[in-house]
Amino acid sequence: MDLLLLATLRHGPLHGYAVVEKLRGASDGAFDLAEGTVYPALYRLEKAGLLASKWTKAGGRRRRVYRLTGRGREELARGRKEWKAFANAVEAVVT
Amino acid sequence: MIEDYLARLRSELAAVGIRGRLRARILAESEDHLRSDPEGVERFGAANELANSFAAELGARASRRAAVSAFAALGVAGAVYAVSFIGASFGHLPPSDLWPTLALLSFPAIIVAPQVAFVSGSLALLRSLRRRDRVLPSAELRVMHRRTGLALLAGLATMAALALFAFEVRNETDGWWVVFTLAGSAAAASLLVVAAVPTTGAARLRPRVAGEAGDVFDDLGLAGYRDDPWRFARRVAFAVGLAVWIAGIVQGDPIDGAIRGLAEALACLAGFAAFGRFLGLRR
Repeated sequence: MDLLLLATLRHGPLHGYAVVEKLRGASDGAFDLAEGTVYPALYRLEKAGLLASKWTKAGGRRRRVYRLTGRGREELARGRKEWKAFANAVEAVVT
Repeated sequence: MIEDYLARLRSELAAVGIRGRLRARILAESEDHLRSDPEGVERFGAANELANSFAAELGARASRRAAVSAFAALGVAGAVYAVSFIGASFGHLPPSDLWPTLALLSFPAIIVAPQVAFVSGSLALLRSLRRRDRVLPSAELRVMHRRTGLALLAGLATMAALALFAFEVRNETDGWWVVFTLAGSAAAASLLVVAAVPTTGAARLRPRVAGEAGDVFDDLGLAGYRDDPWRFARRVAFAVGLAVWIAGIVQGDPIDGAIRGLAEALACLAGFAAFGRFLGLRR
């Protein structure tokens, strides 16, 4: 979940609902999880310093927008590298 | 429907110990999310599960941080204690038969409480470093909170007893030692109180996560002792008693060393009996 959330935010800041939408869209509906469960993970990643967030106003509504921090980008790069190595290893065995 | 859900979420968050600004933020974000998709209440997840998920995700990290903060504050208190203890040799303390009553009464606490603080704080730190999981069982969090809380209380008791002792012997002892001990213990006690803030914050979170708390044999990688934890306690007590006795021999008083060694060994066994289950030393 952590890697998915970090990857979803790599192109720019998003609010929670947009994160869920993007996650669902990018995975072609494969990650159709209980939407609320994204928030505890976002909070934890923020506490860990991988994300930062702030309130913004859009269309008269207050929204909490999340963005990757420098440490978050480093963690994303490390996670992607690990995932690619794992996926390549599985593919080499399975195919 | 959205209002009903938010009211349920509000009370479920309170039930797992999430209140104040954090709860207000969670509710505001949840409301924004649900108003973006009014049909999405079903997909958002059950309020009790979501509240529990927040407490579980935040609780593990908060408990680990509390243990580390407490250990850092105890480190400062330990330094004050060590300098004061060593400095007492040069501060011309009066012989113990001339100590005022309150100084005599505080002395056992000066000896016992720091040992409790050191053992409990070290075990809390060890557990927090060993269990790095994103979410931890509730029982595991309770053990970490107990270890951290007891370490802080014992640290505060040490500083209070040390300050009381220094105050009581102030007229018969070098002024520099009294000033250092009083100022140092006050500063260290303040740090311990500051370190108690994250501990109480972490203990307020009460996620419901199934699973057992480990014991000291998990912490130390000594699973072989689990079937007979008292064998472990006896060995530790023997080692501690022997170390104190050897220190007595080195200081030229083997009889006094033996008496103190025996007292230390018995204190170890008493501590294991008193705090064994409370601190997760045994199951």
